[in-house]
This record gives sequence, C-alpha cells and structure tokens, in this order.
Amino acid sequence: MRKTELAVVGAGPAGISGALEAASYGVKVTLIDRGDRPGGQLVKQTHKFFGWHAKGAGTRGIVLAEQLARHIRENENVTFFGSTEALGYYSDKVLLLETPRGIEPLQCERLLVATGASEKMLLFPGNDLPGVYGAGAVQTLMNVYGVRPGRSVLMVGSGNIGLIVSYQLVQAGVRVAAVLEAMPVIGGYAVHASKIRRLGIPILTGHSIKEAYGDGQVEGAVIWKLDEKWNGIPGTEKDLKVDVICLATGLTPLGELLWQAGAQMEYVSELGGFVPLYDENMETTAKGVFVAGDASGVEEASTAMAEGKLAGLSAAWSLGRVPPEEFTRKREEIRNELYQLRAGPTGQKILRGLETLSKRAKKVTA
Amino acid sequence: MRPSADAVVIGGGVVGAAIAYNLLKSGMKSVVLCEKSTFASGSTGRCGAGVREQWGAEHNIRLAKASIDMFEHLAEELGYDQDIEFKQKGYLILAHTEKEWDQFKKNVELQHRLGVNSMLLTPEEAKDIVPALNTEGMLGATYNSRDGHANPFHTTRAFLQAARRLGGDICFFTEVTAIELEAGKVKRVRTSRGDISSPVLVNAAGPWAAVVAKMVGVDLPVYTQRHQILVTEPVGWFLDPMVMSFSIGIYCQQTPHGSVVMGIGDPDEPKGYDTGHSWQFLREMASIVCRLLPVLRDVRVVRQWSGLYTMTPDAHPILGKVPGVDGYYQAVGFSGHGFMLAPVVGRLLSEMILGKQPFIDISGLDLGRFERGEYMVEPSVV
Ligand SMILES: Cc1cc2nc3c(=O)[nH]c(=O)nc-3n(C[C@H](O)[C@H](O)[C@H](O)COP(=O)(O)OP(=O)(O)OC[C@H]3O[C@@H](n4cnc5c(N)ncnc54)[C@H](O)[C@@H]3O)c2cc1C
Repeated sequence: MRKTELAVVGAGPAGISGALEAASYGVKVTLIDRGDRPGGQLVKQTHKFFGWHAKGAGTRGIVLAEQLARHIRENENVTFFGSTEALGYYSDKVLLLETPRGIEPLQCERLLVATGASEKMLLFPGNDLPGVYGAGAVQTLMNVYGVRPGRSVLMVGSGNIGLIVSYQLVQAGVRVAAVLEAMPVIGGYAVHASKIRRLGIPILTGHSIKEAYGDGQVEGAVIWKLDEKWNGIPGTEKDLKVDVICLATGLTPLGELLWQAGAQMEYVSELGGFVPLYDENMETTAKGVFVAGDASGVEEASTAMAEGKLAGLSAAWSLGRVPPEEFTRKREEIRNELYQLRAGPTGQKILRGLETLSKRAKKVTA
Repeated sequence: MRPSADAVVIGGGVVGAAIAYNLLKSGMKSVVLCEKSTFASGSTGRCGAGVREQWGAEHNIRLAKASIDMFEHLAEELGYDQDIEFKQKGYLILAHTEKEWDQFKKNVELQHRLGVNSMLLTPEEAKDIVPALNTEGMLGATYNSRDGHANPFHTTRAFLQAARRLGGDICFFTEVTAIELEAGKVKRVRTSRGDISSPVLVNAAGPWAAVVAKMVGVDLPVYTQRHQILVTEPVGWFLDPMVMSFSIGIYCQQTPHGSVVMGIGDPDEPKGYDTGHSWQFLREMASIVCRLLPVLRDVRVVRQWSGLYTMTPDAHPILGKVPGVDGYYQAVGFSGHGFMLAPVVGRLLSEMILGKQPFIDISGLDLGRFERGEYMVEPSVV
C-alpha cells in the first residue's frame, strides 16, 4: 500500500500552504485534489484580491495559483495527485482515494482536510432546471474553460461574489438582467456595486426569485418583492426572460470527510454551517485529523493560507519534526497574522463565530 | 411518562414495536415502550431488511412463513398512511459448491413439507429471473417468489404509530437503567426519566439484550458482531429478487427507489459494539458483487455503514419466559434475521404474556434449550 506521512485533501490556498509548511520540515506530503491542477478556487479568480492586508495585495488569483503550483512542483517532499477524490478516512489511518487508475488506499499518519466550501442552493420551483448555476460554476466555465454559460443571466445575491461574477459576465459579453438581494441593503463592497450600476444593471434589494420556468431548460424567472419577514409579496411579481439563473447566495463548508472521519461537528451560522470543533493547532476531535481554510469556516484566501500554514506546522510538530520552542514561536506568529487579517468588519462576524465554536469546544472537554 | 403500566417494553426496534402493538391490540390497557435513543436506531435501522421463508430449519421456516403472511397485509392492518415498501419479488439463493447444493435440495424438501413453494433452478433458469447474473461456476439456485423485503424504518414506525393510536406510551430517549424485583417478580423499572412500576417487562433490547437480562440476573449466551453494508446510487430497474449466496457470503437487493443495498458476512468482523466501517469492506464487497452482477461495475456507492448481529449459539432467537423471574419476557438473539421475524414474534410474545396458547409452538426456543443441550441447527445464514 502507498504510504505518506501527511495527506492533504484539497489543493486550494489552505491545502497548499499546509503542504508546503509541513514539507519544509521534511514531512513527506501527498496533496490530493479533485481538479486536475492545484490552486482550488484561485484558478478561476481573474480579479485582484481585496481585503488582503499582509502580502500580495492586488495579486490576481490565477497568478497566485500559478505561483503556488510551481512551489508544489518544485518541492521534492510534496507529491500531487490530481483528478483524485478522497472517499473516506478510516480508523486504520487509511485514506481511500478514487484516482484515474481506480480505487487506491493511502496509508497516512496525519490528515489535513482543506476541502473548502460549496455553494448554497436556494429552494424555489424549477431550481433543478438546466441553466440554474452556482456563481462559482459560472466563474469556472468562463475563466477556466472560456465557455459562456448563456446569453442572459439573472444573478441572485449581491455579495462580493455576485457582484464580481456579474461584472465578469458582462466582460464576457453576457447580458445581466438584474442582481437580486433579499436584504434591504447590498451585501458586497460599494466599489463593486458602483461598477455594476455604471453598467446599467439594476440591483434590486428586498427582492428574491419566486420560480424558474422553461421547457427542459431555464427560459425565464419570476421575481418578487419581499416583506420584512422575507416572505414574497403577491402582486409584485415580474417576469424576466433569462436563460441562466446564477445563485451567489453564500458558501457552506464542505465537511463530509470530517463527518465521516468522526470529527465532532457543530452548526455555527457565522462560519457558514457545520464546522468541526478544533483546537489551537487546528486539530479536530478526530485524533490526527487537522482542518484549515473554508472547511473550518467560510472566509477568504489569505486567512485560509494562514490557517493552512498553522495546520501544516502542527502536523509536522505532532510528527516530531519541529523543535518545541520554534513551534510555539511560529504558532504565535501565525495566530497574530490571523488576528490582523480578521480585524476588519467581515472579520468581526468570523470572530463571533469562532468564539461560539470555542465555547462549544470547552463544553465538550469539560 | 406514566408512573405505572401493565407492561414495559424495552427497545424501540422493530421487535419491541411489534410486541407493544400486539399487547395493546389484544386488549392490554397500559403499555410503555422505553427506547434509549430513537426508533430503529439499533440493528433495525441498519439492516438489509430481507424477508424469506427459504430456511433450512423447521422453526425458522414456520416463523418466517407466518411473518410473510402478516407482512402481506401489515400496512393495512396497522392503518399506516405511508408505504412500508413490502416488495415480493423473491429470493434467489445461489449454490456454488457441491455441499451447498446438497444442502439446498434438503432445504427445499423440508420447505415443501412445511408449505413453502420454493424451487430448485438450473443456472439457466436463474438467469431467466436475473438476466444480469453471472452464472459461471454456479451449480444451481433455489427460488421462492413470496420472499422479498420491506423498509425497516417505515415498518417500525407503522407499528409504533398504531401502538400510539391504541393508547401506548412510546418514550424515546428513555433508557432503562435498572429493574427491581420483589420475591422473584418484576416490580419496577428505573429509567433515565423516572420510574415505572409494572408487573411485566419485555426485553427487546437487540444488541443490548444481555445488558438488560443482567438487570434481572439472567445470563444470556449471546454475543454481538459487526456486519457491514452499503447502498449505491439509484439505477434503472435490473434486479427483481434478493440475490444471496451463503458460500460467497453475500446478499444484494434493489430497493423500490432504485438504489442497491448489499452486504457480506465476514467471520473476521470484530465482536462487541463497534459500528464503524472499513475500506476493506468496500473493496471486498465491490469485487464480489461485480463478479456476480457485472452490470454494477460502474455504479457509485453513496453510503456505507454497519450494524450488529446478536448471535446465539444456534442462530435461532431466544423467546419467552425465564423460570424464576416472574413477569420477565425476552425476544432476543435474532442472529441476523430479526427484522423478518418481528411481525410473528410480536404476536407470539403478546399471546404468551396474556396467558394464551401461542399460535405456533415455540416452546423449543426458550433459554433453557442450551442447558438441555437441545440446540437447533440452521445451515442457511449469511
Ligand atoms: C447489516 C445487517 C443486515 C441485516 N439484514 C437483515 C435482513 O436482511 N433480514 C432480517 O430479518 N434481519 C436482518 N438483520 C437483523 C435485524 O436487523 C435484527 O435482527 C433486528 O433488527 C432486531 O430488532 P430488535 O428490535 O430486536 O433490535 P434493535 O433494532 O437493535 O432494537 C433494540 C433497541 O433497544 C434499545 N435499547 C437497548 N437497551 C436499552 C435500554 N436499556 N433502555 C432503553 N432502550 C434500550 C436500543 O436503542 C435499540 O433501539 C440485519 C442486521 C444487520 C446489522
């Protein structure tokens, strides 16, 4: 059976940072990703980073992805398995993989789950019609494969992702009929919102989608106004002729592997849904299983990289590769970095979520 | 929860549910069922839920046959508003060794004598029933169209709802922690949510049966063992009967929803209460089933899990009273086939408790048989 010291599932910013950090202490790392190249969500982010104070501000995601991929390729301690899905982590420390060659077990001493997040689905009639996409999928289609999702799009959600993807759609020559926002105010940054407005795209706050219709594929959507309790107001319906409905309604951590590995999971709405309890070393309640990035709570790339680094450091330390003083010092450095990254208003929400999580963790150990 | 009752049933699996329902149906006024978790959370909700009368021992055949009679009208009798998904598309039991084939011929003879219309089939005839079957190395098969399976959650829920309608007190998250006896009689049951005095106590605690029996000082010769199972994504209809082989140690069935449920019997599985699961099982299961039913080769597994068999020395359940502990009854040790026997066991236990003549003679299935050395023999288990 193939063996490795640390298996990292998910080659996004968190996983790659974790892999490189552990590898820098001589740990043999196997980095696994469903996609055929490392980079995770970065490979489709053609826009410049926002809210990244530390380093690399202004770098485009795709550029960063290329840099990280090169580090991975050049590092002799890291093996990358692309087009490979991790199916489960078992009590005999075997990670079962579905590779292009078939099912393969991988014996690993430690596991870092950096599986990221998936898009939230909205409930409405017709939501299973072809033509209903998540915003991330639309981004992947356009920015990775150069494929337009359709001719005319209804964007649901005015957070940064909804706004940026709307802009990218227009850049790609696709019409954006409207951006809907259930809240009374726009979710994303004002800079992005003004860009959209300047293009003449209406941003309708206090609105949601009522239904999608079409014969075998989306041909249009009915939208309506919401009252203060988020119920649709009959009589306010409007019909939009679109062939794509793009949902940008937030992300939720992808924790299946953690559930299956037996980590204790808690629902924390500020973190996007169910997340594992974890300690100051990013280790979950499943011994030897670490977590980092959106899988531990939905945030953004810079915190994901810092968390990944911390998890990689801890995994290396738990394998006896990091001198104790160095470990304590570095851990403190990274924790400070995380603290700074979370200083802004979005960070406040995350900090509240993390506080809830740590209270529950204390309850468990008490 | 009531402070006193005519009977307390421990266990909200299919067996406890069937017993509680039958007691109420037969006129008992006050019945409390205590379940430490939620319904079907023990073996029942984890089982393959196959139902067959093709057994090799007389007791099992008689009991299973009566159970199938009951399954045929169960949803109706219980007034269940949903479908228990009882499907009778038969069991096809494959023979791959001479020894097995000889045994099957004997089984079928016995089954015929007891009124079961099973048949011996050639590999070609088996293939007519399951065209997807790889008959290589097969000597023959037995088939009985009355066999089939049901949904274990719906079946248990149907019993419990009917029991509730009849005034039963069904208490979830209520664990029985001790049982008080007085002068050799059941007196009171202690639970995590208070005490209930009751002259009758029924042990239907599944894998925890021995723990409960200990509370009244009874030692049960049972052990629990893990069995693994999986379910695939739903696929187009291709498999009418349950396909089973004892020598290969596999069962496989397609549910009405299209998914395929399958398990193997592995003698090396750990004994005890481990309900984890292994990747070795996935690999083993996949390689066996794909040899037998090659069409499954590209079908994806969506979930794997495990549950416990509660085994007795002779793979037959232990039913009824125990001398010296008045008011204590047990329905335990189903050895991997308690789901199918639940309807009939529910009726038989209630008849015993209410002092009636059980409609099938089960006096030989008491606990005393092991001391008397009267072991049953059941050659046909996975
Ligand atoms: C993988 C697998 C496949 C199987 N396939 C089949 C099949 O195809 N056909 C078939 O007929 N059978 C099958 N079986 C066997 C079948 O599942 C069992 O025989 C049957 O479910 C037993 O039902 P039960 O009600 O006795 O036990 P359970 O369903 O285990 O119920 C017992 C209940 O008692 C509760 N309990 C225990 N102790 C206490 C306490 N102190 N206080 C309160 N509550 C308590 C438990 O929580 C549990 O819910 C299979 C089993 C497994 C594991």
